[in-house]
Amino acid sequence: MGDQGCGLVGKVVAPGDAVQALPASGSVRIGPGLRAEGSYVVAQKCGVVRQTRNGKLWLESKQKRYIPAEEDLVVGTITDRRGENFVVDIGAPFPAQLPMLSFEGATRRNRPNLVAGDLVYARVITANRDMDPVLTCVDAQGKSSGFGALKGGFVLECGLGHARALLARPPAPLLAALGAKLQFELAVGLNGRVWLDSSSCATTVKVANVLQQAQGVAAAEVQQWVAAQLQQ
Amino acid sequence: MAALVCVGDRLASADSLQAGTGTYVRGGFIYASIVGLQQVVHEGTDEAVVQVVAKGAAPVVPEPGSIVIAKVTKVSPTAANARIVCCGAQALEADFSGVIRQQDVRTHEIDKVVMYDCFRPGDIVRAKVLSLGDARSYHLSTANNSLGVVRAKSLAGVAMVPVSWQEMQCPQTKAVERRKVAKVEEA
Repeated sequence: MGDQGCGLVGKVVAPGDAVQALPASGSVRIGPGLRAEGSYVVAQKCGVVRQTRNGKLWLESKQKRYIPAEEDLVVGTITDRRGENFVVDIGAPFPAQLPMLSFEGATRRNRPNLVAGDLVYARVITANRDMDPVLTCVDAQGKSSGFGALKGGFVLECGLGHARALLARPPAPLLAALGAKLQFELAVGLNGRVWLDSSSCATTVKVANVLQQAQGVAAAEVQQWVAAQLQQ
Repeated sequence: MAALVCVGDRLASADSLQAGTGTYVRGGFIYASIVGLQQVVHEGTDEAVVQVVAKGAAPVVPEPGSIVIAKVTKVSPTAANARIVCCGAQALEADFSGVIRQQDVRTHEIDKVVMYDCFRPGDIVRAKVLSLGDARSYHLSTANNSLGVVRAKSLAGVAMVPVSWQEMQCPQTKAVERRKVAKVEEA
């Protein structure tokens, strides 16, 4: 209900722009980036208005500042140990807490041996506007499942949309094209941080540069562009 | 025989008189703990009691067992910090801080309490003082049907209406938010 054929789908809007008038009856479903204000659906950010098949309106925007949400996978840097928790920087407005017992096989006597500067791949379990986010390095069953400390490697920062695209299933064409030629290990955080590691520094640098610069390349040209980059 | 004494003034030796309200004993002597008029009271056959009576209104201080109204300032996974605003029916002039720990929120399943589903910053809660707590805050408890959140604002900034023991609803947006709701019996 409520799809009056919003004329602004596909158009760029600025914060404060009215996207659609709210109908007198029925309901309008809105997604991220939009808000109901008075009698209009109003944009909260700069972006392109999109509409899903079901008629839900949302805003597609480029953002670098990460706002934590539950169940997000993030790459974080440990900055401190305070009490029973690690304090982790995930690029959010507030530093996150990672309990020392939230690792597989951790007990009060057997704590993880992590210090300031170490990297972790973790999952957000508590995220709201009033508290510091809380992370965990185990899955719901208590297994590590890929979470935990990341040894060595290199972290690069990218936009949130790009990070989300890198985590897409089936794998993004960018990663497929890189993986066909080079061997590297990758951990993508939805907070816009990507951890890379490979057997040689040259490969790591190459992959990092390609991932960083691919943000400006259109989706249709990615394959060709990657091939050209790797030839150099 | 009413002399004006100041905090810390030595009143008598602990052997000769008993310490009453407004005094404390230290090192075998009785000292005044508030500013006021010193009085010696004889109660029947017991020893005479020296007490200090505040000149003017006695300052109200929360005592263990009293019911207080507090405004939540910070919520963390293990505790909620609050500023005590009223003690009983009396508004306080001085600032007292209290903390509601996870185990003092309710009486059942105290280890499964999610603090963010009970309190949010800005909520007005009715709580009972458990103890003087530590140097920074009183320990408060809401483990009773008549204790908990009495006033809360929704995300839209509108005062919410209680719907159940665990939920309050915003009358404007109809959104339901979780709180530890108090059912205050109207006297």
